[in-house]
Amino acid sequence: MSTTGEQGSTRKQRREEARARRKALESQAAQQELRRRRLIQLGAAALVVIAVVAIAFAVSSGSSGNSAAKPHSKAANEASATVDSLINGIPQSGNVLGNPHAPATLVYFGDLQCPICREFTLGAFPSVVANFVRTGKLKVEYRSMETATREPAIFREQQAAALAAGLQHKMWYFVELFYHEQGEEDSGYVTPAYLRGLAQQVPGLNLARWEAERSSPKLVEEVERNETEAGEQGFNGTPSFLLGKTGGPMRKVTELTGADLNEASALFEPEIEKALKS
Amino acid sequence: MGARILRWVSLLIALLGVALASYLTYVHYAGIKPLCTAGNTCLKVQTSVYSHILGIPVALIGLIGYVLVLATLLPRQGENTRLATLLLTAGGFAFSAYLTYRELFSLHAVCEECATSAVIMTLLLILSVWRFLLGEPTGSTHVGAPAGSESGELAAGIPG
Repeated sequence: MSTTGEQGSTRKQRREEARARRKALESQAAQQELRRRRLIQLGAAALVVIAVVAIAFAVSSGSSGNSAAKPHSKAANEASATVDSLINGIPQSGNVLGNPHAPATLVYFGDLQCPICREFTLGAFPSVVANFVRTGKLKVEYRSMETATREPAIFREQQAAALAAGLQHKMWYFVELFYHEQGEEDSGYVTPAYLRGLAQQVPGLNLARWEAERSSPKLVEEVERNETEAGEQGFNGTPSFLLGKTGGPMRKVTELTGADLNEASALFEPEIEKALKS
Repeated sequence: MGARILRWVSLLIALLGVALASYLTYVHYAGIKPLCTAGNTCLKVQTSVYSHILGIPVALIGLIGYVLVLATLLPRQGENTRLATLLLTAGGFAFSAYLTYRELFSLHAVCEECATSAVIMTLLLILSVWRFLLGEPTGSTHVGAPAGSESGELAAGIPG
């Protein structure tokens, strides 16, 4: 009896042990499966990281800035044609675009390497030119303020190069072409060759004279004076503007530091009308 | 640290991220100068060519990202919500890393708010990986987690 009882107990014990082993194995398999799934999901997260970085670089390299167009290249010809159709026939004198006796004046503080200035110049500015400058109501003065250009020496050189074109009353061609063919920020694209390439695209510019005058200390001093004035106005970014009745007090219109620049034209129009009526 | 605390900390940090990204988005659309103690570096970064991607301001992309992270932290937690938080924070971390690279090596200027956002997103990623590896606090798929249900305890304390 006792032997049969012991045998029954041992059999039961063995069954329980087998069940426990099976459960342990099942639990182990479940944990391994979970671990495997989590590793795959972590791998997916790592892939997300790689994909986001790759997409960000691909998109930004495709959309950030243009490489400077070579003179007489297709891109340069297109830029020249666009600029020419915008300002051809409008009087220019030094840094001023428009009728020198226009009743209203807009002062545009810019950095030629500033991408937001480019956005403004290519986006909203043409309608300002068409509606107010070409009609003789407004003249625009371009002044220098360093923001996007990293090296002060390069900044002075590029801005003075524009002023040198202004000595031949063609500064606005140079400024517009610079913005149209602006390179990637801080990529070091502004070189003497780049500036010369732009100057070659300015219609009717005496290149030898421009080359001789662009390093004139007077022009560099003018750039520095502009910067002092921008500081006195309390401007913190470019483009920044002053607007008012010609000869009268000027007031700050806005500092466009990232707002939708396509709205800038609509924003200027009532201000210009106000200046014209005052 | 318990799963519950990790989730609360993640929520608080994500809220900070939402607040910061909201401020940067406001600054962008209002066209005002951002707060900056280091001269014009913030302005330079936030008005640079890298301040928008395909015409969308990066501040707005950041705000959407933080709101999505927050949205995955609010409902009852499970494998899927933790995975969603992990994938979103991994994407956010990668985007922050890209922007930081641009600040350091393309613009040579650091924006304080952007650096803070990068730190916030990195912390969120660390916490989400931690929570993901910690797994389900209770149930059959328990993997070394402390006792106490994260989902039940926290869901009761959070509206919506």
